[in-house]
Amino acid sequence: MLALAWRNVLRNGRRSLITISAVALGLASLIFLWGFNDGVHNTMMRNLQQVIVGSVQIHAEGFFHHPKLVKTVPDAASVINIIKDSGIDQYAYRLRTFALAAGRETSEGLILLGIEPEMEGQTTRIDQKVDQGRFLQNNEEAACVLGETTARNLNLTLGDDVVLLTEDLYGSLAAEKLTLVGIISSGEMGIDRGLAIIPLGFMQQMTGMQGRYSEIVLQLPTDQLESTTAQLKQALAAKRASYEVLRWYDMYPMMKQWVELENAFYYIFLSIVLVIIAAGIMNTVLMSMLERMREFGVMMALGCGRVKMAGMVVAESLLLGVAGILMGSIIGLALVYYFQTAGIDLSGQMDSMARFYINPVIHTEIDGEHLWDTILAVLGATLVAAIWPSIRVARLEPVEAIHHV
Amino acid sequence: MSDTLISASGLTRYYESGEMKVAALAGVDLTIERGAYVVLAGRSGSGKTTLLNMLGGLDRPDTGSLMIAGDDVLVKSTAERAAFRLHHLGFVFQSYNLIRVLSARENVAYVLQLQGMEKKERFALADHWMAEVGLQGFENRRPDQMSGGQQQRVAVARALASNPDLVLADEPTANLDSHTGESLMALMRRLNEQQGTTFVIASHDPAVIASARTLVNMQDGQIVSVEGKDTEAVKGDTVS
Repeated sequence: MLALAWRNVLRNGRRSLITISAVALGLASLIFLWGFNDGVHNTMMRNLQQVIVGSVQIHAEGFFHHPKLVKTVPDAASVINIIKDSGIDQYAYRLRTFALAAGRETSEGLILLGIEPEMEGQTTRIDQKVDQGRFLQNNEEAACVLGETTARNLNLTLGDDVVLLTEDLYGSLAAEKLTLVGIISSGEMGIDRGLAIIPLGFMQQMTGMQGRYSEIVLQLPTDQLESTTAQLKQALAAKRASYEVLRWYDMYPMMKQWVELENAFYYIFLSIVLVIIAAGIMNTVLMSMLERMREFGVMMALGCGRVKMAGMVVAESLLLGVAGILMGSIIGLALVYYFQTAGIDLSGQMDSMARFYINPVIHTEIDGEHLWDTILAVLGATLVAAIWPSIRVARLEPVEAIHHV
Repeated sequence: MSDTLISASGLTRYYESGEMKVAALAGVDLTIERGAYVVLAGRSGSGKTTLLNMLGGLDRPDTGSLMIAGDDVLVKSTAERAAFRLHHLGFVFQSYNLIRVLSARENVAYVLQLQGMEKKERFALADHWMAEVGLQGFENRRPDQMSGGQQQRVAVARALASNPDLVLADEPTANLDSHTGESLMALMRRLNEQQGTTFVIASHDPAVIASARTLVNMQDGQIVSVEGKDTEAVKGDTVS
């Protein structure tokens, strides 16, 4: 039956080729658009994680929503051992509190972040966002990196003194004068305004928090995020103290929700394209069917059952669809592969905000789930397209069909 | 001892034409023995094609009964009638009606394929029947690479390949020139005599009528006479 169906597809080669090409073009476009979409989304999610947030953060229970200097990671040394035992080699610990930064004439409230420069450099890319000056160095003491908006508000330039005031472990005022060694320009308002990064050791000394950390930041491969998080939660649950192990999207859910929303729009677009594909295939199959009414009548007269006849029409539709899917997948994946390497330069269309999340050159990539969803949906559309013609064929009366003009 | 293949009684079939009800068959009684070679003759509209469609299980009468090879055809479902046609009947149509995308061999083997016969076996049988109808060497040709006469011979081979009880042919010579038509009828007669297959042919072609062993004349949906050399094999209630 399949061989007969294939010959029927080839019966009007030009028409079938046009239909197959239309399916292929539709599918290739969808694959490329998914490639662009996934490339942008994955880049955004990676940038958020890699620049400063990390894939996972471990805190004392409740720290993320109610951060306090004294709410540090309990028994941090054993937590770090658990991290190492889990095979994670990209991690950094930080101390975090609120502070007031004073410039020449003004002051501004900000988040004070104490980091280990070398460890931070192995875990995040915040050092690469320094636009003026340099990032912190190992064993450095009273040095400070500010966001560019904060530096401008405080009227500070590189080499100027920055006075930081905060509370120490005992609630007393702690104040230190540091030198501004670098200014970050990231495009993300939360970093460019309201963040000061200083050496962890210096901050611990300043606040009386020696050997204590507010957060441990982990960088994980995407495909290990869920399993590793579950593993860490399980290991930490066995300890006496309470911890929170938060994935990046637990902390910043809007990003994930936005990606999911945009994907939903793509699925709507996909369904519109599917309707067009299904209509194209149905048109071809119906035309082919009308041309062969007598033949169907003869086949029925000879004893071919209605189910077999309908099955042949479905097979013809499927063959058109599968041929289009093969062609479209090759073209679509070739496009995705090409632009994965070459990239699409959108630097002219982006403002600085976008640049924090989206790189000026978009490299396409496609999630397997989206690829399969799309291919299966097109295959489904070819099946749907066959429903009406196959019902019509199955309902034919042999005498009428044989005498069809 | 008689061996009845077809036993039809009181077959009527009405078609509606606007508000008019036209009787295509008006109470036909017909009995045909195995091995008969019957021509249903009559002018257009006489009911011969309608009767042929009834005998082939392609159409249902409004009233009457029909037994073929001991089976009550009219109580069968659509699927059962298709299966019945597949295993008991062969068809030859006016316009050859071969499947265009199949070769002559594949056309002949098509019914055998529907019956579930293995490819090697069915192709061997198809080749045998191609030779039987004088088309050895044409097995791989497509219908559009053959003349009308050759296509109709393929159709005859297809009708006979499954060794049916009954071959029904509707105006088989209508699209053939007289010489080719006569040749085809000679072939069908020969196969009837050699194989013992029952043929019922509807035609108003004088050459076909002349070839009949039994001639059933029809008019206005009724059998008006049964004549020929073999009237014992065919009994029809005639009207005068």
